[in-house]
Amino acid sequence: MPKYKPSRIADAHRLVGPVPFDDFPEDPRAELDRLGVERAYVTHTLSLYADPQAGNEALLKLGDPRLVPVPVVVPGVPGACAPASPDEVRDWGVRLVRLCPERHRWELTGPVSLRWLAVLGLPVAIDFEETSPGGLLTLARSLPDLRILLLNPGYRRLRAIAELMTEIPGLWLEIGTVNTQGGVEWLAERFGASRLVFGTGAPLVDDCGPRYLLDHLSLGQDEVDLIAAGSLEGLL
Amino acid sequence: MILDAHGHIGSWPDFLIPDPSAEGLIATMDSTGIAATGISHLLGLGPDAVEGNRRALAVAAAHPGRFGVWQVYNPHHRTPPTDGPGVWGVKLHPDVHLCRLDDPLYEPVWKLGLPVLAHGQTDSPWSSPEQFAVVAARHPQVPLLMGHTGLWPYGFRRAAEAVAEHPSVLLEVCGSKMTGRWIARLAALAGPERVVFGSDACFLDQRIGFGRVALAPLAEPDRALIQGGNLARVLGPRLARNPGGTPL
Repeated sequence: MPKYKPSRIADAHRLVGPVPFDDFPEDPRAELDRLGVERAYVTHTLSLYADPQAGNEALLKLGDPRLVPVPVVVPGVPGACAPASPDEVRDWGVRLVRLCPERHRWELTGPVSLRWLAVLGLPVAIDFEETSPGGLLTLARSLPDLRILLLNPGYRRLRAIAELMTEIPGLWLEIGTVNTQGGVEWLAERFGASRLVFGTGAPLVDDCGPRYLLDHLSLGQDEVDLIAAGSLEGLL
Repeated sequence: MILDAHGHIGSWPDFLIPDPSAEGLIATMDSTGIAATGISHLLGLGPDAVEGNRRALAVAAAHPGRFGVWQVYNPHHRTPPTDGPGVWGVKLHPDVHLCRLDDPLYEPVWKLGLPVLAHGQTDSPWSSPEQFAVVAARHPQVPLLMGHTGLWPYGFRRAAEAVAEHPSVLLEVCGSKMTGRWIARLAALAGPERVVFGSDACFLDQRIGFGRVALAPLAEPDRALIQGGNLARVLGPRLARNPGGTPL
């Protein structure tokens, strides 16, 4: 099968800012240029490794349309949440928010979380390591209109991922870590390329390999374009 | 010549591998320009090294020039190691076999003198990079590839430093936690002549492993060494001894 180059590429999962355990470049734009990535959906590392609200403030100041902000939301009772209310999230005008229930120690399917997410009405990005298949199923059954982008699904739980993709129509999958042989094509054949999203998790996770894979998928041009950018637009 | 130092065929119990076949691997190699891949059969890493090695050699014979075989040596079963057409060397997996890399049970392997590809995992009691330094000091004549260069990002630098004084040890860079950036760092730390491309296909997707090297921020001469030049130097005439192999 001939290999098709994607028409344009968006990285749905990228970080900006410093991390405590490495000296990665804090600004991803040079790497995006080098790899031919048009835009990236970014979360600030301060939101993950320091204070969610401080990270969101830094993120929303970036002011570059090429770096699309994905702020972190911490649902909770007053005094335990970030930001102060769902209304404040809506005022940001973002199209996707990130949830880190494990990192920030709150219950993804608890009553407060479900009320916040119902009010927000925004798609959410969740790292698979921050939740569980059971948690995702409960979340989706509680909020059937919720659109979920599952980040960092990895390659070792393809059977569980396939069950989730079957049971949750509103689930999209980031493919950067789906790196067992032929894994992306296997998922595309069963669930459609329109539910697969190019993303990397760089710089913590590799961007070179997944970027190369985009140019070498055994899929048609339309499917490659969906994975490279179109599916994310459909999700948002 | 692009050579993949670290490959497999066959299935593995921990998770689903959508395409574990040799034919699938060849199709990928054709699309990426990889001339040959060194393989062990995953059955051989598991409970039956003899049968796994037989299957790997049969695959190499069926696809002349495309595969070299890393024969699995199980230290508990004392798998008889052999040499011959299609053999690149010996594969050791101390973490699966629960036998430290520096255990005397591996002595028949070191005596054989073939190149060795061994799983290397930082902080593992079985295969930490420091054990590679120990066996390299005992057997400096044996080319030794440290599979995964320690596996975990926090250990990549440690792995390079642990074997810095042992030129017989090369750093093989496959693994799901490896990055293009780290491959460039390792080339700078250890020297590009000490770094070797491997993919861990079909366990992992060969395109992703190769893409890490192909798109890593490397100078082109260094990339050429990592993509195949270094392994060709280690294998030497063994490449031409593959069934149907092309002389260098």
